[in-house]
Amino acid sequence: MTDVVFPLVDDEAPESPGVVSTWFVEDGAQVREGELLAEVQVSKIADEILAPVSGTLRHKVAEGQVITQGAVVALLE
Amino acid sequence: MTATTSAPTTRRLTTARAMSEGIAQEMGRDEGVFVMGEDVGAYGGIFGSTGGLLEKFGATRVLDTPISETAFIGLGIGAAVEGMRPIVELMFADFFGVCMDQIYNHMAKIHFESGGKVRVPMVLTTAVGGGYSDGAQHSQCLWGTFAHLPGMKVVVPSNPADAKGLMISAIRDDSPVVYMFHKGVMGLPWMAKNPRATGPVPEEPYGVPIGEAAVVREGADVTVVTLSLSVHHTLDVAEEMSSRGVGVEVIDLRSLVPLDTATVLNSVHKTGRLVIVDEDYQSFGLSGEIAARVAEVDPRMLRAPLARVAVPDVPIPYARTLEQAVLPTRERITAAIDGVLSQ
Repeated sequence: MTDVVFPLVDDEAPESPGVVSTWFVEDGAQVREGELLAEVQVSKIADEILAPVSGTLRHKVAEGQVITQGAVVALLE
Repeated sequence: MTATTSAPTTRRLTTARAMSEGIAQEMGRDEGVFVMGEDVGAYGGIFGSTGGLLEKFGATRVLDTPISETAFIGLGIGAAVEGMRPIVELMFADFFGVCMDQIYNHMAKIHFESGGKVRVPMVLTTAVGGGYSDGAQHSQCLWGTFAHLPGMKVVVPSNPADAKGLMISAIRDDSPVVYMFHKGVMGLPWMAKNPRATGPVPEEPYGVPIGEAAVVREGADVTVVTLSLSVHHTLDVAEEMSSRGVGVEVIDLRSLVPLDTATVLNSVHKTGRLVIVDEDYQSFGLSGEIAARVAEVDPRMLRAPLARVAVPDVPIPYARTLEQAVLPTRERITAAIDGVLSQ
C-alpha cells in the first residue's frame, strides 16, 4: 500500500489549503507508475500528481474537498 | 504489486492537456513543427494549451514572443512558406485587430496569389469565449468573422478527444487552419468547474477529420446546431428535456470551414425544427449562415420558424448579471426549444 500525497505546491505558504481540482483516473482503476492521476490547486497555483508506483487507485478525497498540502489524497494497492 | 498488462481504457484528460498532447506528439514526429506565441513557453499558455512543451522540446522549438502579434504571426507565415509547420498562438481572438492583415491578407491568400505554388501549412490557435467577467475585449468568440474570410480553415473543438484529434489534423493540413478553443472547455482549475471539460482521450496519435460535424446526441423532435462551450450547455438541456419526453438532436459542428452542411440538412429533414446556438454575435454571422444553408436547399423542411440563440449585437458586459443575460445560457436554449416546439 502506497500513499499518494498532495504535493507542496506553494512553498512560501505550506500551510495553505488546496483542492484536488480534477481526478483523471477513476476510483478503483489500474494505473501505471508515472501516470497522471490528478490536477491540484493551491490559491492560484496548479500542479499535478503522478502515480508513484503502479497499482489500483483508491480515492481518499473528492474533487473540491479542501485539504492541506502533504495530506494523503489516495492509496495505491 | 505487479501492474496490469492491459492499457487503461478510461484515460481522461482536460481539453487543455489534450491539446498540448496532440502538439507534443506531432512535434516528436516532425522536426518542422514548432510553437510560438505570448506565454506559450515558460507559462505553458495562459489557458494551458501548451503545457509541458518547453520542458520537453526546449527554447528553439517553443518560443515566447514579445507582445507583437503582427511580427510573430508574420514570422510564422515566413516559416510556413519555407516548409516548416508553425503553431502560432494569438492569445485572445479579440486581439485580431492588431494583426489581421497578416492573417487574412497574407496567411490566407498567399497560396492563391501564388497560383497554388506556395503553401502556408500554419496553425493559428486562439482562445475565445466569455462567461467569467473578462469584459468586452476579452470575451468574444468571433468565429463568424474568421469563417467569413476565404482562404483559411476554421475548427472549434468542444471536448478533449476532438481537441487532440483536430489539433493533429490541423498540424498535418497543408492549408492554414485557425484553431479556436473556448476558455470554458479547457478544464482549467481556476475557472468554474465544468465536468464536460474532462473526458477520455486515446493515447496514440489520431486525427479528427476537418469539415465533419458530429451528431453528439440523437433525437427526433428538434435539431440543435451548435459548437464549442454551447455544446455542453445544449447537452445539459437535452438531458433535462428528455425526462419530459422531448427528443433533442444535438449537432456539434466542430469545423466551420469547411462546414458540414450535409449533416445539418439530414437532421433538419428528420426533425423539421431547428435551433441554432452560437456564442458569437447574432447578426451577420454563423447562425445566419446555417439558416441560409437550410433555406437555400428547401425551407419547407421546417415545420416551424427556426430560432437563434446568440449573443445580441452588443459589447459583452463585464458585470456578472448583465454578462449572463447576453450569453446563450441553458435557460435561453430551453426557451428557444420550447418555442419552436410550440408552433
